[in-house]
Amino acid sequence: MPYINPASTANDVLLREANHLDDRAWEQWLALYTDDAIYWVPAWRDEDNETADPRSEISQIYHTSGRELAERIERVKSNKSVTTMPLPRTTHFVTNITTDLIDDARIDVRANWMVQVYQPRTTKQYVNFGHYEFQLSNVNSKWLISSKKIHLKNDLVPALIDFYTL
Amino acid sequence: MSAPSCNPCDLDKLLDDRINDGVFRVHPESFTDPAVFDLEISRVFETTWLFLGLESEVANPHDYVTRKIGRRSVILMRDGDGILRCFFNSCRHRGTMLCPLQGGNKKLHVCRYHGWSYDSQGRNVGVTYQEHPQYPADFATEDRSLREIAQLESYRGFIFACLSHNAPSLTEHLGDAKLMLDLVADQAPDGLEYVPGAATYTFDANWKMQFENGLDAYHFPTTHAAFVNIVKSRAPLPIPDHLSDITSCPDSIAAGTINFPRGHSMSWSIGAPGQGAENRPLTRDKTLFEKVRNRVGKERLNWMLRQRNLTIFPNLQVIDIQSMQLRTWEPLSVNKTRMTSHCLAPIGEDPRAREFRIRQYEEFFNAGGLATADDNVMYEFGQAGFASSTTAPSHPYARGMAGPASTSQPFAALGLTNSTCTYSQAGLTFGDETGIHGGYREWHRLLMSR
Repeated sequence: MPYINPASTANDVLLREANHLDDRAWEQWLALYTDDAIYWVPAWRDEDNETADPRSEISQIYHTSGRELAERIERVKSNKSVTTMPLPRTTHFVTNITTDLIDDARIDVRANWMVQVYQPRTTKQYVNFGHYEFQLSNVNSKWLISSKKIHLKNDLVPALIDFYTL
Repeated sequence: MSAPSCNPCDLDKLLDDRINDGVFRVHPESFTDPAVFDLEISRVFETTWLFLGLESEVANPHDYVTRKIGRRSVILMRDGDGILRCFFNSCRHRGTMLCPLQGGNKKLHVCRYHGWSYDSQGRNVGVTYQEHPQYPADFATEDRSLREIAQLESYRGFIFACLSHNAPSLTEHLGDAKLMLDLVADQAPDGLEYVPGAATYTFDANWKMQFENGLDAYHFPTTHAAFVNIVKSRAPLPIPDHLSDITSCPDSIAAGTINFPRGHSMSWSIGAPGQGAENRPLTRDKTLFEKVRNRVGKERLNWMLRQRNLTIFPNLQVIDIQSMQLRTWEPLSVNKTRMTSHCLAPIGEDPRAREFRIRQYEEFFNAGGLATADDNVMYEFGQAGFASSTTAPSHPYARGMAGPASTSQPFAALGLTNSTCTYSQAGLTFGDETGIHGGYREWHRLLMSR
């Protein structure tokens, strides 16, 4: 088994992802994901419990392929959705990263996140926050995101959430 | 409920309803004046019937949920005998909020301040240290039950509440709009339920933007252009054999509205892209689908499979398109509204059909969906525009006004008795706006009544 440093590997992937989103480098962001990646934002069932089964319960967002993420990118780039008129400015903060090396092709990661969102149209700003669960997979000697579960703690959402505000 | 004692503005000017002259306008201050908002809360939301919840949310004895009616928090609960009751969420001792949670199952509700307790019929069954009280003499005889709201009724599993004793019965309030709720309820032989997991979101705009939008077919191609392009780029779903005789499949195109007394209305269409019968979760559970078909007959089944946006004035919309959404709203201020959205589904649905229903719902609706987020931001554009305008817009709700009212096909199967219908084979490009009129007339009637 080749030497893997899960902490530095996870740190690199997660922080790069955050920077790509803040830099609006959408294609580079998508390239961090496998084609069959799961992208999941559960909803809340009640005060204490999130939904746990996307097949029988509601999620805020649930995608099972990079193609679906690409559709969201196309929507942003199309300039036909008022959600991007103008596009909110974001800064991602990712911290408290812990890793579990499952095997030489998989690292599980948990991290806390916070996104500061500023809407130039209204000059209003707000924060989304929670924690992430990632599954990183080694594909052709490259570590990619094969699963990202986004736990959104403040789920009374102001008007919109999208991949760049989470 | 007590209303503000003075008229903060000239209420009469808020609605310019001269339909015979081709004029129907709502004054922009209706969306921006906090005094109008206060009157809306007291004279609309705390006076007429509001949608409160589904019976399946409180299916068992002692189940309860907390909700808002205007400014008031209420507890909706099912007592030990199975009777639905609704109380103000306020302890009779000092007025403290009794239930801090969204819901649960409790035989006994104990106020956490001093421990007064109430059973699920609302009766005060415990006063802490009652044996050493030195209470005045009338304490023993005074009724200390939770205060029950004026009226609570349900229709086909939809529970409605009203804080006024003067409102007519729910049956009279709904009128023929009941028949549209039937088109929803009849899809669920064992009852309707919410798929677990609610979506809540806010937009910084007046609640009436949401009321209007739910009846507005005109905005769809523009506001949702990005979503429409995504749908067009995908391969269409195949049409299975068991749907070959469904005439809501995109071989015909039509659209219009059905307008009911007391502000309710339904916008409908046939043949919009990506909205055929094969896109409807109901058709995915073949057993359920055949059961429904046999029960309701061909014509009413066709209506079920048409895209229908139903508004029950003032706070309920059931959107039955590529999935089925129930949404309701709480006006927080003149320019802020809180939405709650649920995926509606038949109880006992096949798991694969359920999964399809959920994916279809998430894709379109809510703040994370590809269409609703556009609407939410557009409401904020609207609010910003109203603040910039001192006169009413040019022809805000005029499309469809010049057309003849139709009561013939395809409405016969619905059994309407007291409704007006519009119909155009232009389909979605018809963009009928007359369905919005009724809600504003009812809104204005309630605002003007003391």
